[in-house]
This record gives sequence, structure tokens and C-alpha cells, in this order.
Amino acid sequence: MAYLVASVAGVVFFAMSVVLLGVLPTRALNADMRAMGPAKLPTLTASEQRGRIVYAREGCAYCHTQQVRYVHADMARFGAPTLAWETQFDFPQMWGTRRIGPDLAREGGTRPDDWQFAHLYAPRTVVPLSVMPSYASLFDGAANQPTNDGRDLVAYLSTLGRARELAAPEGEARAREACHCPDDEMAQMAFEMKELNAHPARARRTGPVPALPSAGDRAAGLQLYANYCAGCHGATGAGDGPAAAGLRPRPSNLSAHRYATDRIAETLWNGVAGTSMPAWRDQPLDRIAALVAAVQSLGQNASVDEASRSGDDLGARVYAANCVQCHGERGAGDGFSAASLAIAPTNFLKQQPFQSVALRALTSGIDGTSMAPWTSRLSEADITAVVHYVRSLYTGDAKEGRR
Amino acid sequence: MNDTPSDTARPAALAIDTQLIRAHGLAAIVTLLIAATFGIVASLQLIDPGLTGDVTWLSWGRLRFAHTQGIMFAWLGNAFFAFLYHAVPILTGRPVTSARLGRWLFGLWNFAVIMPGWILVLAGISQPLEWAEFPLVVDAVVVIALLLAIVQFLPPFFSRGIEHLYVSSWYIIGALIFTALAYPMGNLVPELVPGASGAAFSGLWIHDAVGLYVTPLALAVIYFVIPASTRRPIYSHFLSMLGFWLLFFLYPLNGTHHYVFSVIPMSAQLTAIAASTLLGVDVVIVVANLLLSVRGSGVFPRDAGLRFVIMSTIFYLIVSVQGSLQAQMSINQAVHFTDWVIGHSHLAMLGFASFAAAGGLAHAWQRLPIARYNERAISWAFWLMLVGVLVMVIDLTAAGIVESALWRSGAPWLDSVVAARPYWIVRSLSAIPIVAGFVALWIGLTTGPDADVRARTTVAS
Ligand code: HEC
Ligand code: HEC
Ligand code: HEC
Repeated sequence: MAYLVASVAGVVFFAMSVVLLGVLPTRALNADMRAMGPAKLPTLTASEQRGRIVYAREGCAYCHTQQVRYVHADMARFGAPTLAWETQFDFPQMWGTRRIGPDLAREGGTRPDDWQFAHLYAPRTVVPLSVMPSYASLFDGAANQPTNDGRDLVAYLSTLGRARELAAPEGEARAREACHCPDDEMAQMAFEMKELNAHPARARRTGPVPALPSAGDRAAGLQLYANYCAGCHGATGAGDGPAAAGLRPRPSNLSAHRYATDRIAETLWNGVAGTSMPAWRDQPLDRIAALVAAVQSLGQNASVDEASRSGDDLGARVYAANCVQCHGERGAGDGFSAASLAIAPTNFLKQQPFQSVALRALTSGIDGTSMAPWTSRLSEADITAVVHYVRSLYTGDAKEGRR
Repeated sequence: MNDTPSDTARPAALAIDTQLIRAHGLAAIVTLLIAATFGIVASLQLIDPGLTGDVTWLSWGRLRFAHTQGIMFAWLGNAFFAFLYHAVPILTGRPVTSARLGRWLFGLWNFAVIMPGWILVLAGISQPLEWAEFPLVVDAVVVIALLLAIVQFLPPFFSRGIEHLYVSSWYIIGALIFTALAYPMGNLVPELVPGASGAAFSGLWIHDAVGLYVTPLALAVIYFVIPASTRRPIYSHFLSMLGFWLLFFLYPLNGTHHYVFSVIPMSAQLTAIAASTLLGVDVVIVVANLLLSVRGSGVFPRDAGLRFVIMSTIFYLIVSVQGSLQAQMSINQAVHFTDWVIGHSHLAMLGFASFAAAGGLAHAWQRLPIARYNERAISWAFWLMLVGVLVMVIDLTAAGIVESALWRSGAPWLDSVVAARPYWIVRSLSAIPIVAGFVALWIGLTTGPDADVRARTTVAS
């Protein structure tokens, strides 16, 4: 009898825990998901699903959470807190309980595929200070030759946060309404974000750039450059870092360009949309200023560059006939078709490629961008002339438009 | 009313296959060294990520799975089984069900759960659920093994009146039954219930693994070894039973505290937080009762078995109070996801549980007629493990505070990775005393005089 009482008590305790912390929350969550989720939710494709299995078996979830919590530090860094319906198809869940790397709930749309491949293949070539394991076994010997597993995994990464982005903004409004929680501060946090994905490395075409402290510390900048940039741009800035081979377009040759200060600052703050060049909005401004100084010092190797003589007539004519729709009338990269290109055309007022670089751009094009080779359409003389012309447009740090 | 275990209560007729004690004890130590090696290699990979090249079997995530599953099933499982073979006959005055069943259980546990479990997760067949990484095929064997363990160990208790049950017996009965119930829930339900709801069930299991399997068995050891070594009854049987019932009431209700500030309904989060807070109170009761029972023996008594369990009790207090604090929203907000929590789990599994398991082994071994026992080595094991655990836990706790501060400051993510590095190095270094302690434990259980010699010297002195 006593045994019976004890066993019943024990089983009741256990059952109570399952009901209180398992069954009831599940019911509440199911109701939430029905009310707040979009009517039709995209499921994962077969490839994305297989990628999920790779993610699971490699224990990515033990260094990366997939759960933006309702706390300000999380939201500032990653974006909108995770709603229940977002993980509705996660069998089993991979929320994770430890972050050695950042949360990945909003990773989709944060980095382009070539970055993901290069990073998975050899993380320290892309991020020299990383401790993420290399997953070279998902590749056939090079970052741009993923195996099926590798391709599937990156396909899966691109789904993280995708459903929420796709559903927005109607989805957000609907969820907010269905939430019935106007006074619930915590629940409201899910809808406070201007952008669902707040990742500081997500590149964007334009965006306000904060004013930098005037003089950057070049020595500190070079150290930062070694820690953050050398993997792609190479130790000397020649665009030949260990990760460069897998990236399309390849990282710029920083030692063969002159850049206006604000151009570098803008590039660092916003990244280069459409390329693997990340934004660095999480870096303190003095570090950005230091990096700007460092990048400028890489390009000061002017002795190897021919002085730019002022463009002659032929150059201007070739340019006007062939280049304006992209690079813009004044060379500011704002031609009428520029906006429709995945990667913005070069702004020659702010960026001066060395002679050799510009020549190569015209003879070979820039792989991975809409800049095609011109050798079939322009004569050698035309090319030489237009190269001189575009280089003469550079205004450096002077006010844009001075010509 | 309760039969306090004593040294003399082991009638020769009950000498259940001591082979099983030895087999599980040695399996425990061997697998402990293997499981620790997985952890150490994983920790070194955080210092030198290229350490093991591109060998997929030794990839960080897979080692992480093998490490924790190994500690939980292989080391603690075997050590607790060894202890049960020693304790159950003494507690009940009856033999366990069958020596043959014992050999099956041993074989199943080691060669159908641990070995294949390790091989499969390292080969990439696993589930990404914390404390449940072995794949479902292995889980099925685990459930069978747990049922066999119930058949093996519980009938002796039931064939005796409940009024004779000592508190260790309660814990043993509770642990075996509730692990068998909770295990399938934690391993299977998240495969069937997605996302947030799945996480709610995972949270339940993460805490049940600690609260219904590890903790009760470790407490069973402690409650057993203290009176048996000091030859004095436990301070208060009432407090013992109060602690027992509160534990089984509160522990399962802790689960959702692993997901505070998540989308899981606030009512569940708050329930878990409240239960976590009360659990701290319960543990204070349990520990006070235990420490009052050993007063007069000193914190570091000569008998290494007793010394291990006293230290385990102290760790239990610290880790539980820490757990209650971590569940509070303000602290959870700061330390969740950091190394602080890794420090907490090592304090629980390596401090509290492993010290209890080692104490149980040392205690049983001294009383094994056929085993060698090296007192000095066991004593070394104690000190080495103690130093190692303290260094590791203090170090990881500090690392967690640093990581948390950097995350909240909005600094670049990599700053927190770089800042953690010195702490990770110290953590890896702490493995030296810890593993030396494990090796000393092994030496202590395999060298030294055998029981006959020990008996003679005791008589002579
Ligand atoms: C040992 C811990 C660890 C493991 C395991 C791990 N990562 Fe990482 N991961 C990191 C760290 C640290 C970073 C941040 C530094 C960097 O970008 O490399 C990171 C960064 C990332 C990023 C970039 C996040 C961003 O800022 O946008 C992605 C994507 C990623 N990891 C994916 C994965 C995948 C997929 C796996 C499993 C195949 C994985 N990681 C396994 C530690 C880990
Ligand atoms: C993942 C590789 C990668 C990393 C890391 C990286 N870059 Fe880049 N970067 C690129 C690529 C690719 C481009 C070229 C984009 C293009 O063709 O427009 C680029 C372009 C640039 C440009 C020229 C912008 C332009 O419009 O041509 C500058 C300046 C630059 N990066 C600076 C840096 C600095 C400074 C860092 C470190 C803080 C850095 N990059 C880190 C890949 C990277
Ligand atoms: C279809 C649009 C398009 C047209 C037409 C076009 N470009 Fe480009 N151009 C680009 C893009 C896009 C880039 C690459 C920007 C980048 O990599 O960031 C580029 C890059 C360049 C570069 C390399 C800049 C550097 O710093 O590396 C040069 C030089 C250049 N273009 C010159 C020309 C000239 C001269 C013409 C006309 C003959 C021309 N382009 C026509 C789109 C165009």
C-alpha cells in the first residue's frame, strides 16, 4: 500500500512536469504558430533538408545557437527575436545552448555563398582569428568545389531566417495583431526591429556612414588588417590572401588602388553588396579609422604606377560611348543601369585603379561582376585611352565633382 | 525503521558476483579515460583548431557529442552499476535478481550502448540534442538496458517492507524508474515535436538527465557511504526523506530554465525559475543533513571513499545554489550561452557526480574480497581531481563573465573569441591534474595489497 502511494506520487510528479513544461507549452505554442505564422509556410527543399542533417551531425548547434532571445544584447547583434512559427519545421530543434560562434537564426542573406564556402572550407583563411573547425571534408580539395554535402549545407544556411524575411512586412503586422500582447513588453520586442536581420557584417548598397575620428592610427590599423582582412586581401593587400582563390569577384588588390578616405570608410561600414566583402559595423569607430589609414598606406606604392596623365579626347569619347550606362556620366558609378546590377560599378572619382589593374579590367573583365572584357569591341588604342581617361577622373579626398 | 547500511551487514551468502562490481568498476575507469580524452582533444581544438587536420571522425562537434555521452553513460553509468551491485544486497539483505542478467546488462551497456554509440556519433550518425546525442537505434538499447536494470536491482527492495527502506534505497528506486520514463521522452519526443515545443521537451530531458539519473544515484552513494564509513546513522531520517521527495517533485520542473527569454510561454519559464529557486532550498536541506552526519570526521577524513563523498556533497551545494542563481532572469540574461555554463556543468558532472561515483567505487573496492586496493593512489586521485576541478570551474566561470561583458558591450564577436583564449588554455591545462587523478584512481583500484593482506594488517594494527 505504501509502495503504491509512493509510486503514484512519483509518477504524478513526473507527469506533472511533462504536462506543465511540455504539453501545455506545446499547446500554447501551436496556437501561437497558427495565429501568428503566415498562412502558407515554405518548407525546406530536399537539398536544404539534407544540409540540415549535415549541420546536425557536425554539431554546429553546439557552437551556434539558432535562437535570438528577447534580450537587447541579442537583438542589437542579430535581429528580431525568434518567433515560434519560424522553427515550426525543425525536427529536431537545434536551438542550442552555447555560443562560441554567433547565433545563426538570421544567417540567411547575411553572407553570400562564396563567403560561406570559403569559410567552411578553411575558416581561418577568411577570418584569421576564428576557432571554427575546418570542414574541408565537404569539399573536393578547393573552396569552390563543394561536394553535395557542402552545397546542401550552404543551401540550408541560406534558409535561416528566410521565412520571416519573406513574410515581412505583412507577416510582421499580422503576427503583431494576432499576438494580443500590446502591453507585454517582452512579446512586443519581437516586432520592434526595423530590420529583421541586424547582423553588423551584412553588406548593404548604401547606408549612412558615421563620421570617423580624423586621424586613424596606421600601426594599429595594420595589425587589425592582419587580423581581419589579410585572409582575403593578402598580407600586402595584393588581393591574394589564402581565401581569395574561392571568391567571386576576387578581393580587390588594395595595393594597386588609390581610394578616397570616405570611399574606404563607406566600404568598411557598408561592405560591398553582392560580394564576399563584409561590412564592419560592429567595429568601434577608432578601429575603422585605423583600418582606413592602413588601407591607404597599402596603396601608396605609387612608384610602380604610371602617373595618370590627364585623359585625352579619344578616352573621353570611348568612355561616353561605352561606359556611361554603368559607371555614370561623371564616372561616379551611378549610370542609369547601375542600380540594376548586383555589384555596383566602380566610382572613379573616389577610387583610382593603378594602370595595370585598370588595363586588366578592360582586357579580361572582372570575373563575378558585370564588367566584361572589351577586347572584342575596342581597339588597343581605345583601351589605352579610356584607361587613362577613367584614371584621370580621380578626385581623391577633394569634394566630389571638382574636375 | 530504516536499515542504515553498515560494514558488517554483508552476509557471505549475499556475496553477489563480485566479478560484476569489478567489471563495471574497471569499465568505468577505462571509459572515463576515453571520454575525458574526447573532451581534452575538443578543448585543445579551441586553442589550435587545426590540431586533428581534416579527420572527420575527430571533428569538434562529434567529439563534443562523444565526450558528454561518454561521461554520462560510460563512466557514471558503469560506476553507478558497480556501486549498486555492492549496495543493493546490503540495503535489502537480498541478492540482486541474477548474476547472469548482470553479465547481460554489462555486455549490453558497454558493447551495445557505449561502443556503438561512440562509433556512430563519431561517424556522423547522431541526433543534435543535448545529452541525447546517441542515435535512436542506440537509444532503443538504452531503454532495454534500463528496463533490465530495473529487473535486476529493484525486486530485492520490493520483497521487503517499505518501512525498511533506507534513503539510498529510495533514491535508487526513483532513479531507475524515472530515468526509464524520462529517457524516451527526451530522446524521441523532439524528433516528433518541432522547434520551440521540441526545445521545451529537450529542456525537460536536459534537466531530467541530471536530476533524475545522475543526482539521485550520486546521492544514493553519498547517503550510503557516509554511515557505512563513519559507522554512525545519518543525522535525520526525516530530513533525508523530505529532501528526497522535494527533489523528485522539483527537479523535473526545472527544464525550461535552459530557455529563459525564449518564445516558450512565460508561464513555463516562470514555473521553471520558481522550481529552480526552491530546488536550491531543497539542496541546502539535503546537504545540511549530510554534513551534520559527518561532523567530527573532518572535511578531509583519512578514508578516501568518505573524503570523496564529503567533497561531492560540498560541490553539490555549490553547484545547486549556482543553478538557482543562474535561473534568475537577471543572471541568466548575462551568463547564458557563455563558458560560465560549461563551468557549471563540469562542477556538476566532474565535481559532484564524479566525486560521488569515485567515492562509491573506492568504498566498494575496499570491501571487495578479491580486489586490490591502493589507499595512497586513491588519496592522490582525490587531491589531483580536486585541484583540477577547482581550476577548471573557476577559470570557466571567469571566462563566462568576460564573454558576457563583451557580448553586452556590442564589441565585435571575435573579440569574445580572442578574449576567451587564455581561459581556454587554462581549462586545457586543468586536464593535467584531472587526468592524472583519473589515472591514480585506476592505479588505486588495480594495485596495492589484496583484501586478505589488508585484513591481516588491520588485525595486526
Ligand atoms: C568550435 C565551435 C564552432 C563550430 C563547431 C562551428 N562553428 Fe561556425 N563559427 C564559430 C566561430 C567562433 C565563428 C566566428 C568567427 C568566424 O566567422 O569564423 C563562427 C562563424 C560561423 C559563421 C558566420 C556567422 C556570421 O557572422 O555570419 C557561419 C555561417 C558558421 N560559423 C557556420 C557553421 C557551420 C555550418 C558549422 C557546422 C558545419 C559551424 N559553423 C561549426 C565556431 C564554430
Ligand atoms: C571575405 C573576404 C574579404 C575580407 C575578409 C575583406 N574583404 Fe575587402 N573585399 C573583398 C572583396 C571580394 C572585395 C571586392 C569587391 C569588388 O570586386 O567590388 C573587397 C573590396 C574591398 C575594398 C575596395 C572596395 C571597392 O569598392 O573596390 C576595400 C577598401 C576593402 N575591401 C577593404 C577591406 C578591409 C579593410 C578589410 C578588413 C577589415 C577587408 N576588406 C576584408 C573581400 C574581403
Ligand atoms: C555593365 C556595366 C558596366 C559597363 C558597361 C562597364 N563597366 Fe566597368 N565595371 C563594372 C562593374 C560592375 C565593375 C566592378 C566593380 C567592382 O568589382 O567592385 C567595373 C569595374 C571596372 C574597372 C576596375 C575598377 C577597379 O578599381 O578595379 C574599370 C577600370 C572599369 N570598370 C572600366 C570600364 C570602362 C573603361 C568601361 C567602358 C569601356 C566599362 N568599365 C564599362 C560595370 C561596367
